[in-house]
Amino acid sequence: MKQRIFRSTGILIAVAVLFTFLLTSVVYYQDYSKEIKSGVQVEAEYLKKVLEETGDSYLTQDIGNLTQNRLTLIDMDGTVLFDSIEEPADMENHSDRPEFIEARKTGTGIENRLSATLNENTYYYALLLKNGEVIRVACTSRSIFATLTSSFTMIILILIIVLSLALVVIRYRSIKLIEPINQIDLEHPLENDVYEELAPLLRRLDIQNNQIEEQLRQIKQNHEEYLAITENMKDGMIITNKSVVLGINKAATELFGVDVKDCLHKNILTVSRNVIIKESLDMAIAGHSTEKILEMNGRVLQILANPVSIEAGHSGAVLLILDITEKQQAEAMRREFSANVSHELKTPLMSISGYAELMMNRMVKDTDIPEFSSRIYDEANRLRTLVEDIIKLSRLDEADGQLAFETVDLLSITQDVSSCLQLQAKKRDIQMTIEGKKTEMFGVRQVLYEMIFNLCDNAIKYNKDHGQIYIKISSTRSTITWKIMDTGIGIEKEHQDRIFERFYRVDKSHSRETGGTGLGLSIVKHGAMLHKGNIKVESEIGEGTKISIEFQKNSENQ
Amino acid sequence: MRNHFEEQLEKLNVELMEMGALCEQAIENTYKILDNADIEMIKDTRKKEALIDHKEREIENLCFELLLRQQPVARDLRQVSAALKMVTDMERIGDQASDIAEIVETVGALENSVAQPLEDMANHTIKMVKGSVNAYVKADLDLSKEVQKYDDVIDQNFVDIRKNLIDVIVKNPENGELAMDLLMIAKYYERIGDHACNIAEWVEFSITGQQKEEDE
Repeated sequence: MKQRIFRSTGILIAVAVLFTFLLTSVVYYQDYSKEIKSGVQVEAEYLKKVLEETGDSYLTQDIGNLTQNRLTLIDMDGTVLFDSIEEPADMENHSDRPEFIEARKTGTGIENRLSATLNENTYYYALLLKNGEVIRVACTSRSIFATLTSSFTMIILILIIVLSLALVVIRYRSIKLIEPINQIDLEHPLENDVYEELAPLLRRLDIQNNQIEEQLRQIKQNHEEYLAITENMKDGMIITNKSVVLGINKAATELFGVDVKDCLHKNILTVSRNVIIKESLDMAIAGHSTEKILEMNGRVLQILANPVSIEAGHSGAVLLILDITEKQQAEAMRREFSANVSHELKTPLMSISGYAELMMNRMVKDTDIPEFSSRIYDEANRLRTLVEDIIKLSRLDEADGQLAFETVDLLSITQDVSSCLQLQAKKRDIQMTIEGKKTEMFGVRQVLYEMIFNLCDNAIKYNKDHGQIYIKISSTRSTITWKIMDTGIGIEKEHQDRIFERFYRVDKSHSRETGGTGLGLSIVKHGAMLHKGNIKVESEIGEGTKISIEFQKNSENQ
Repeated sequence: MRNHFEEQLEKLNVELMEMGALCEQAIENTYKILDNADIEMIKDTRKKEALIDHKEREIENLCFELLLRQQPVARDLRQVSAALKMVTDMERIGDQASDIAEIVETVGALENSVAQPLEDMANHTIKMVKGSVNAYVKADLDLSKEVQKYDDVIDQNFVDIRKNLIDVIVKNPENGELAMDLLMIAKYYERIGDHACNIAEWVEFSITGQQKEEDE
């Protein structure tokens, strides 16, 4: 900026100085030459008077030396009679000079001659004397160009001085001018007090500041939202640009056992070198969504890879990693359940139809018919209990909230169950003891009855002969615990987690010796879930089993 | 100019990781092959070996180009020279994995009792190879030292298997040929362990600049 100001002012100064110089020179020169001319004319008139009075003898060398002008006396024929500078004899005939001719004609002759070589201007003034001679006075002065050139160096000097002065002043002024602009507080533009010419700029700055602030706030908010979503989600997520990791959430780092700082802005290989992940990512970058299953460290992971399109190009990808281990297990369990159901239903049916077929074809002796009928009856019974159990279970599954809750007494239910099973227990000489007082809770009577019945039934079935069953009902301020202990065969550790699964049997042969459908404990589990109860199993092989159900007193049911 | 250099170093890094991943896959294949002698797996292992060879040449070229054109110094030089050494070890791992696949192909699926100790050894070797590649990827000095120590486990494995096979030959001389083949496989695993150990050493070198003294 300084340079630009200096350039324009410099040109202005130079032009001003030169013009002033030229104009004054011309004016002064004209005045000066007028002065000279009148001087010359006066002198000529004077000489003319003197010469006409005293004759030619007046003109001597001394007179010529008195004046700076050149005096020449020319005869009628042009011969030079006297000259104040040169010898008249050496001078040529002046009859062809214009001032001489003019003077001879009109009495006065004026001539201005410019000598280009000497850069001199000579002014001639000739007057005709009475005797026909002509007196000429000439004055030589420097021409206007010569005058100009002689003072040119001076002008240059002045220019240099003025311009350097201007440079200093401009520099100083521009620094002073810029200073307040540099000190503008850009954060708060409106609070500045500078030149009023800057006000529109400051206002715009303020508007832009506000816009930027708003945008930053929005970006920050978006980022926080994004983090809140990704960091809290259970599934792993990786965002990449080509194969460089742009973002990886906590779940993903935990799944792959890496640190965020180790893989952020680095190749995906730093996260996992697994070939399936690489393939999914490559497909996604190529623009295809993929879904793959990956088994890693005993977990089953589902990899969903989707391309991210920016301006029609697929440059990035989003990988979602879902842990579907439980889902797959549940699926497997469901498959097992359906297989089990069909097997359990089919076996008694096959027996029934087999026996019936034999009887239909009269292949059974009449004496054997009661035996066969009782077998058919047993199998049909078995089938009925199975179907009943399945119905109970599916009711518990489906009819959540549709069952009638009421206040029930656990002790009386337990006593009912115990008296119902007394006969069965007596057969194997098993002693049942119930301890506890009247304990009321809010629940579904039928379901609680089934639960207790199944647990007691199991305690008898899987007990040793002459064994013991001990049932205890206790309550604290907030919980009610129903506990059953037997002295039976016990359950191995590995089975303890699974006994509540449908059709799960510790005894894989599905032995019929003990009867049962394999659904009893499943019903217990679902019943407990319905009452928000908690089941605990403790068991030692050969020692017996302890099963306790803990209900919350102040549960939502009440 | 410098930017280009950084880019190439990163490319070297990525290529090495890819090659490491290929080695891991090849040796994981051998573990499965031991169990079922799956023809597809054997073919895949061969393919992996070819890929590994190809990668080795690519990485070598990249290293030479970096050395000649960029003349790296200090840490960068260490990284490039360590890479040059590492690819040799990785290439050997690929070869040996393919050799194991070849032997199983001729022998056929192994009986469980025979395969078990070999599978254990394979598991240990996989751990080592993974560990060494991980150490490189994470530039983890502790992990690289751990891998170097783990080599002893594999050496012990080899000694045990060898002893067992000698027993087999003494008791059932007709099984001698099979025993020799199995010994070869064990030896290959043992060598793979050594190579993984070498890789870990080079990782250590590229981090610390110190080469492990040969003390064995």
